[in-house]
Amino acid sequence: MKFNLEIDGQTRQVEIDPADSPGEWRIRIDGEAVEADAHLIRPGVMSLLLAGRAHRIVLDHSSSDPALHIGRQRIPYRAEDPRSLRSRRRHSGTDGPVPVKASMPGRVVRVLVEKGDSVAAHQAVLVIEAMKMQNELKSPKDGCVAEIRVSPGDTVAAGDTLAIIE
Amino acid sequence: MFRKILIANRGEIALRILRACRELGIATVAVYSDADRAALHVLEADEAYRLGPAPAGESYLRGDLILDIARRNHADAIHPGYGFLSENANFAQACEQAGIKFIGPPSSAMRVLGSKTNARQAADEAGMPRTPGCVTALASPEEALDVAAAIGYPVMLKAAAGGGGKGMRAVARAEDLPSAFAAASSEAERAFGSGEVYLEKLIERPRHIEIQILADEHGHCVSLGERECSVQRRHQKVIEEAPSAVVGQDLRRRMGEAAVRLALSAGYTNAGTVEFLLDDNQNFYFLEMNTRLQVEHPVTELVTGYDLVHLQIRIAAGEPLPFDQQDIHLRGHAIECRIYAEDPANSFMPSPGRITRLLQPGGPGIREDCGIYEGWVVPMDYDPMLSKLIAYAPTRDLAIARMLRALDEYVIGGIRTNLDLFRQILRDPEFRAARIDTGYLDRLLASSPPGAIHLQSAGDPQPGPPPIPAIAAAAVFEATKASNGLADALPSSSSVWKNTARREAVGGLD
Repeated sequence: MKFNLEIDGQTRQVEIDPADSPGEWRIRIDGEAVEADAHLIRPGVMSLLLAGRAHRIVLDHSSSDPALHIGRQRIPYRAEDPRSLRSRRRHSGTDGPVPVKASMPGRVVRVLVEKGDSVAAHQAVLVIEAMKMQNELKSPKDGCVAEIRVSPGDTVAAGDTLAIIE
Repeated sequence: MFRKILIANRGEIALRILRACRELGIATVAVYSDADRAALHVLEADEAYRLGPAPAGESYLRGDLILDIARRNHADAIHPGYGFLSENANFAQACEQAGIKFIGPPSSAMRVLGSKTNARQAADEAGMPRTPGCVTALASPEEALDVAAAIGYPVMLKAAAGGGGKGMRAVARAEDLPSAFAAASSEAERAFGSGEVYLEKLIERPRHIEIQILADEHGHCVSLGERECSVQRRHQKVIEEAPSAVVGQDLRRRMGEAAVRLALSAGYTNAGTVEFLLDDNQNFYFLEMNTRLQVEHPVTELVTGYDLVHLQIRIAAGEPLPFDQQDIHLRGHAIECRIYAEDPANSFMPSPGRITRLLQPGGPGIREDCGIYEGWVVPMDYDPMLSKLIAYAPTRDLAIARMLRALDEYVIGGIRTNLDLFRQILRDPEFRAARIDTGYLDRLLASSPPGAIHLQSAGDPQPGPPPIPAIAAAAVFEATKASNGLADALPSSSSVWKNTARREAVGGLD
């Protein structure tokens, strides 16, 4: 199979096929051949041998984009089918509605504004709390509160949209 | 000896106490909140009872419920661990009245030493040096100005009921004092329910050195050497070690004697810690006393060879200390890292959630006290400590090397942790030379913010394009994900083990 691999900010073309023995793979990275012997010692934990060099690789696919722990590094990656035409590039300007997103998982402690209020950029909009630490979420721009999606006591995940500023 | 002990805590310390009880042949009762039903301390206990909803105020701080569970299930003692009810004199007194032994000091000693202003008065009576400043709560900003003028700026405002860095303000000039007074007082009111603050001289670039003491109920008290806890962020300890690189025999003896004097004068029993600041000229100043087992007690256990929780239980059961001061010798060096669910690269934001991957370190000289496992959901309701990783070796240099090795073995996936921060600190030349004080970590973080640098040691390749092994591994994960699902696509080691076992069963010739 063939795909584009976005890894550590770079894009590589990767082709991979199983070799003769189980766990052995023929990989081409931008056309360059690599023979890999990959063995899962348990789910998500790979022992990878490349020409005798041993690597411990741990897959962390908890967030939307998976990441690899290798040595002391944590490297996020994303694989894309090259035939896919959809663009992932999202532009987040400050025109139009802008979400206020949870910076961490937690619980909503206070909502400091109401729908329809005008707010200034960097004005605190909500307070969330986790692990004895409170965190103020600020308005990303000057504008008006178009929507508040949570109330005090609600549990939120990191990245959830809690309010919208227009 | 006790037959059954209730452990009024959660997380790693609940598990650590539970293990000690089991080693001493004592049955254990765990308590848990709704967030902790699947916690390890519940899994490992002999009995476990629900307290209530996740917030600590409705569960682990409910002394009434905990005493009731102890009574109903015939526990003869309660170990409070640290945090929660451990320094609550009212709870200790309620236990005394219920005839259930509180494993800690008597409530009377907690009242003397638990308030920082009372403790400063006790320090004066015990003839131990303390920072200049007042020994009673300040009545007004005007009084604060008078005290500050008498001792000279800079000064530190502190909450009398304080701890954990709350209600503290450093003040450099008189004009800043009134507003700092108001801020510290209201912060203290919110955090501790008491707005009382006092003031002391700010010691510049101090080291935090603390003395572990143990006192039995027969008037014997010993000190078990010091711990250095100068690596702090926002007044919270990050790394602790024993012994301190700058404390010699003579200073250790003098600090130990002062700590023992204070404990004896207050009628203190069981384990306790006397905290000091140490200045550049090796002058030490009493800071406060913690009337409980400390988070960082394992480093003392490793260098003294004693199990502090065993000794706590034996002392509470009325046994005399099994050794004298001259029997206590320090051997080797121990370092502890507090592994937190927080993201140093993102303003140390908390990072609760599910641990999707866990590879824990082991091997010589490594001890890990933790209450986590792969699949555990770290609750958002409690403090973010996941684990205490402790390295022990003959020398400080070797303990650092051992800790770095263990950190490299350690992988926690699914949530963010401060593992990288410890790699950064333990490689820093200043830390390695033990040139540390309580402002050290803030300076390090200001000069090289976490996340902004690739952690490289001398022998590592320079940062560059993503390494081929990472690309190859991503490719294999991707290829197998599409076909058979992750776990089944690659030959798993269980089949290897089966084959090996089969070979061995057949005669081992292969």
